[in-house]
Amino acid sequence: MSANLEISGLRKVFHTGKPAVDDVSFTVEAGEIVVLLGPSGCGKTTTLRCVAGLEHPTGGTIRIGDALVSDPAHGLLVPPRARNVGMVFQSYAVWPHMTVRQNVAYPLKHRGLSGAEAARKVDGALDLVDLAQYAERPVVQLSGGQMQRVALARSMVYEPRLLLLDEPLSNLDAQLRLRLRDDLRRIIKAAGLTALYVTHDQLEAVVLGDRIGVMQQGRLLQMAAPEEVYNRPADLFVASFTGASNFLPGVLRTRQGEFGTIELAGGHTMQAWCAAALAPGTAVTLAIRPENIRLEAASAVNRFEAMVVSQRFQGVQTAYALGLAGTTIEALATGTTMRHPAGTTVTLNIPPEVCWAYPAP
Amino acid sequence: MAAGARAGNGRLGAWAWSALLLAILAFLVIYPVLMLLLGTLTDSNPVTDGYAGMHLSLGNFAAVLANPNVHDILGNSLLACAGGTAFAVVIGLFFAWIVVRTNTPWKGLIAATGMLPLFVPPLVAGVAWSILGSPKTGLINTFLARAGVEWRINLYSMAGIIFVFGMYYAPYVYMFTASALRNMDPSLEEAAEISGAGPVRTLFTVTFPLILPAIISGMLLSFVVMLGIYGIPAVLGAPANISVLTTYIFALTSWAPPRYSTAAAVAFILMLVTGVLVYLQQRVVSGRSFTTVAGKAFRPRALNLGPWRFLTLGLAIIYLVIVVVLPTLALLVAAFRKFLFIRDIASLFDAKQYSLLHFERLFANPATIDSIINTMEVGVITALIGGVLSFAIGYTIIRSDAPGRRLIDLVSTVPVAIPGLVIGVAYLWAWIGLPGGFYGTIWILALAFVARFLPDTVKALSTSLMQIHRELEEAAWICGRGTLSTIATIMLPLARPGVVAAMTLLFVLAIRELGSSLFLYSSSTMVMAVQLLGYYEGGNVSVTAAFSLVQMVILGVLIGVTNRLSQGAAGGVGRAG
Repeated sequence: MSANLEISGLRKVFHTGKPAVDDVSFTVEAGEIVVLLGPSGCGKTTTLRCVAGLEHPTGGTIRIGDALVSDPAHGLLVPPRARNVGMVFQSYAVWPHMTVRQNVAYPLKHRGLSGAEAARKVDGALDLVDLAQYAERPVVQLSGGQMQRVALARSMVYEPRLLLLDEPLSNLDAQLRLRLRDDLRRIIKAAGLTALYVTHDQLEAVVLGDRIGVMQQGRLLQMAAPEEVYNRPADLFVASFTGASNFLPGVLRTRQGEFGTIELAGGHTMQAWCAAALAPGTAVTLAIRPENIRLEAASAVNRFEAMVVSQRFQGVQTAYALGLAGTTIEALATGTTMRHPAGTTVTLNIPPEVCWAYPAP
Repeated sequence: MAAGARAGNGRLGAWAWSALLLAILAFLVIYPVLMLLLGTLTDSNPVTDGYAGMHLSLGNFAAVLANPNVHDILGNSLLACAGGTAFAVVIGLFFAWIVVRTNTPWKGLIAATGMLPLFVPPLVAGVAWSILGSPKTGLINTFLARAGVEWRINLYSMAGIIFVFGMYYAPYVYMFTASALRNMDPSLEEAAEISGAGPVRTLFTVTFPLILPAIISGMLLSFVVMLGIYGIPAVLGAPANISVLTTYIFALTSWAPPRYSTAAAVAFILMLVTGVLVYLQQRVVSGRSFTTVAGKAFRPRALNLGPWRFLTLGLAIIYLVIVVVLPTLALLVAAFRKFLFIRDIASLFDAKQYSLLHFERLFANPATIDSIINTMEVGVITALIGGVLSFAIGYTIIRSDAPGRRLIDLVSTVPVAIPGLVIGVAYLWAWIGLPGGFYGTIWILALAFVARFLPDTVKALSTSLMQIHRELEEAAWICGRGTLSTIATIMLPLARPGVVAAMTLLFVLAIRELGSSLFLYSSSTMVMAVQLLGYYEGGNVSVTAAFSLVQMVILGVLIGVTNRLSQGAAGGVGRAG
């Protein structure tokens, strides 16, 4: 039966330097897929390995379902084999000296199942990942994507309480990655598993996760549904890591509820959503996604005239570099036609909901 | 010669160069092996009959094959090596696991000292263990008797040979399996743990099956080395009348009249068995390896043994005591004590019982100093000839497009499959019947050593040549330098550390070599290893121990120098046996 996962105050300090995981707390509900997203070295994999029991946490507690599996303060540490979790590794970790069936049957060996029942479960798992016709092949004869599916079948065949996935798609080529990404969510949901998934790829996180947790330097910065992470980033790092690449310095002048008026260089003012408890007079940085800049005069709020510095054709979209408030910002327009040659002036419009102000770093 | 761009005389030069190298290799390797084959197929004595009066038939070889003595002796050899290998695999695999995969304390030290047995000459190991474990006068039995224990150990037995073989050649298995474990993706084991397997089940269903090629490879190599060893079975087997192939071959040549053709036939059998095993080992090594699946750097992973780590540390200490401390102590006690008889423990620490008496007697014999001088002379000649030849071969194989370099590569690798003793018999057959007095000189010893260790030195040099980027040479060509000038001004200076290391390695290998010297020394070219055997067979244990210590000190200093000159090149000392 899939169970919920409860992590509270998790800390992991390696022999040297700063903590790899620093006071991380979150919950994964039964049947939910949570994705930990962050750049390499942010502590997401260490968090996952602590949940698996492969890494020994320095502090905090981990609870899977009703069972406390890790509580170093009280000397409690359940070994990986007794946690009843499944794990898919970045390197697949399918055993090259076995066939597909032997790999998938391995976790069932000591679980006291009859031969027929074990065989039925293996067949079921192989069906689920669409590998039934490869069962008797040595795994070394499979492609990377097929090996990954063997690893997935092996991690699910014993119906673990929790499925852990450590960058399972990062060793695959781009096209295969797209296909398996969609398959993965379908398969996990079909099996009704609780899953914790680690990746550095934002798109993977958005497509796969019910919720996304963004990590940096061992800390969990934000955990929320994908659309909230994308539309209400908790801080400047989350905004920039998820793709807001335009930054404008300014000063907050007045505040009206969630929104405020920011004065930019060159006398422009802009209405923006203010994340934290910012007081008027503070220096702020505005973060804006290129896709959210509209090259039309849709509204009177946040409307500016800007000079097109350059336009770069990118196939289904065009990137424009625009001079605004003494700096250059980038805007994206979808469609295969280029509308604004360099040197012309355009009117642009940035809705205040997608213009986010954070304390200047 | 090597620059293919230059047509005409450049091409001709390349052909001449390859022909020269092949001629040298034919002289060093092929001619003696053919003469060994000839000796196998005749029943005449090359000393009295010469090569001209030789009649060839399969009769001699058939007679040797049908001889029940030979069957027993082949059986003894296979039993001793199989037993020793099995023991070595258990120890080597265990230590590889301890060092690479656990948090046993001091494991770096364990790994370093665990390699020491490789540097101990087998005869010295045999002598030390006969002092410790002989059934009547052995030190261990003396202590057991003093302690009132009824039980006695007897190393003069098949079990004794197997024990010493396994203890001393475990590092071969360790070397192969430890590096395979290091290169294995740890998530393969983690996946087993997540799947519900305990540490022991993971070890036997995932870890060991995955490094099986390395285990088999280390097994075959240690088997081959044991098969070619003379010193240990000579010391521990002779008192119990246990003969193996190596000791039997030497015995055949020391009978009156010597049975050279029978010795050749038995040596040929030994070479065949070795050849098959080496071939199998090469197949396993070149076969698909499971261990580098992901091809990325792995984070080190150490199993937390908890309190059990003191048990593994204890076992490691026991091994090191047995293989390093006890034999060294035995040699020290035997060499420095006036009388080896030990009445009680207190007498062991009685300073009055100790003196330099045996060292004085050792050096009072002029043969001792002569053998040391001869050995150094042979070592220097071997290092110089072998170093130059190996550089020439290594450069030709790796950097030139000279014709026939595949063949040169192949022939220079052949001695891998020929035990030292067999090289000795082959060189005996190749030169003893020829006039001119070459047999019995210091040069025949040196040439036999060059041939025997050619694969090791060529490999060591090739590795350092490969590290020199080809463009460094091409830049010199572009500057207008010729091939020879480029080698002299670019390659040699850059490869110098590698060349010096290979030559020192060759020197060390040459001065500890016993197997091939046995058949090639004369009274005026006695070398240390043979002289040591002479002292042992003369029955003076204390002088033998003293000379063993002298040799160990000389070797220790030289190996230290070798290691300083090139980290890691000393790994080649391994095959010497």
